[in-house]
Amino acid sequence: MTNETNGHARYGDDVAPWLLGALDDDERQAFERHLAACGRCREEVAALRPAVEALPLAAPPVVPPTELRDRIMRVVDSEAELLQAAGVQADRPPARKRERRPRSLLGGLRPALVGAFAAVVIAVGVGGYLIGNAGSGGGEHVVAAQVSFPSAQASLHTEGDQASLQLANLPSPPPGRVYQVWLMRDGAKPQPTRALFVVRSGSVKIPGGTKGADRVLVTAEPAGGSLQPTTQPVIVANTA
Amino acid sequence: MAFERRKRTESPAAALQSLADEELMSLVAKGQARAFETIYERHCGAAFSLAYRMCGKRALAEDVAQEAFLSIWRSGGRYDRARGSVRTWVLGIVHNRAIDALRRSVVHERRRASDEGIEERFEARERTEVEAARREEAETIRGMLDTLPEEQSRVIELAYFGGFTHSEIAEMLGAPIGTVKGRMRLGLEKLRGQLAPQGAM
Repeated sequence: MTNETNGHARYGDDVAPWLLGALDDDERQAFERHLAACGRCREEVAALRPAVEALPLAAPPVVPPTELRDRIMRVVDSEAELLQAAGVQADRPPARKRERRPRSLLGGLRPALVGAFAAVVIAVGVGGYLIGNAGSGGGEHVVAAQVSFPSAQASLHTEGDQASLQLANLPSPPPGRVYQVWLMRDGAKPQPTRALFVVRSGSVKIPGGTKGADRVLVTAEPAGGSLQPTTQPVIVANTA
Repeated sequence: MAFERRKRTESPAAALQSLADEELMSLVAKGQARAFETIYERHCGAAFSLAYRMCGKRALAEDVAQEAFLSIWRSGGRYDRARGSVRTWVLGIVHNRAIDALRRSVVHERRRASDEGIEERFEARERTEVEAARREEAETIRGMLDTLPEEQSRVIELAYFGGFTHSEIAEMLGAPIGTVKGRMRLGLEKLRGQLAPQGAM
């Protein structure tokens, strides 16, 4: 396939940087699209991968603090209890068959709290309204968000495939927690984003934009972020 | 201690200890906390060492390791044994998380961490057999890296441990991007060649 050969000339040099994690996000995505179609690159990846997999073992051994284990196991134990209470065995999503890289960690959501969560959102009654829309040329789209703190304001700004939340006077998240941004479509489970923040005022970029979601939520989550919301949303914004 | 109590009430730890990583992961996928704990115990050393080598700061390394292990717990069902060992998978997740953390931080801080290496060391006082084996393994791989031409090992280390992109590395070294990518490939090929005869891994 000529397409593939041309692509190889262009992307062949990216095999090593991709394996080392040295491409930026756009380059990585472009390379991964090429990789799916290029047998030669896949062979090269397979040949070099063992070298990259040996690299982490070269790190000088240090002993992790026991508090780290305690912190992690506290979260794990409480989530395991929740899962058991929710009887999640039955409706846990099946493992994905294939995954290109372990990078896309978010996903495989646990459904435990999602139903109740969706109901809360609907009950809140999403009252976003259009503040302004610089009409011509697909300019910036600004929508006011509903915030559960009377003194705080938030708005959702979208322009093309870029999106961000503008915040003012948000209280700090509870100790040990961060705010996490979620995307919702058609009342389905909120999808986690990598947007985690603790800022109280300012702009928070939503990586990847709002991608067809019709609603953006913010919840307070444990420091590493969650795969499904564990608290009620503090900010809710319609995307249009 | 709290852990002791929990262990007694759930699946006996000894039974879990005898399971292979892959078997444990299928229990983790079912939400079994003790199976996850066993996975953590087996791999936290290598995982934290990698996070620490990359971040150069204890607090950040802890955050990265915590994020990584919690995501492993929460996405346990996504481990696919056809794609490699659990350890490789775990370390891949730690690596990605550390890169994300490094790219969020200011560039000159990252450069300092990767150029100066480790700011503080807290190596094991009491060396268990497992720790001794890990140390030996690290020295072996380290030795292989050291046999590469310096220009190759440097770009590999800046990329893999420093979290820098090829264009950042090119800028730091004042070298064309194509050269940097070529050195990465050559270095990995050599490293691969050294691993092959011993079947290390």
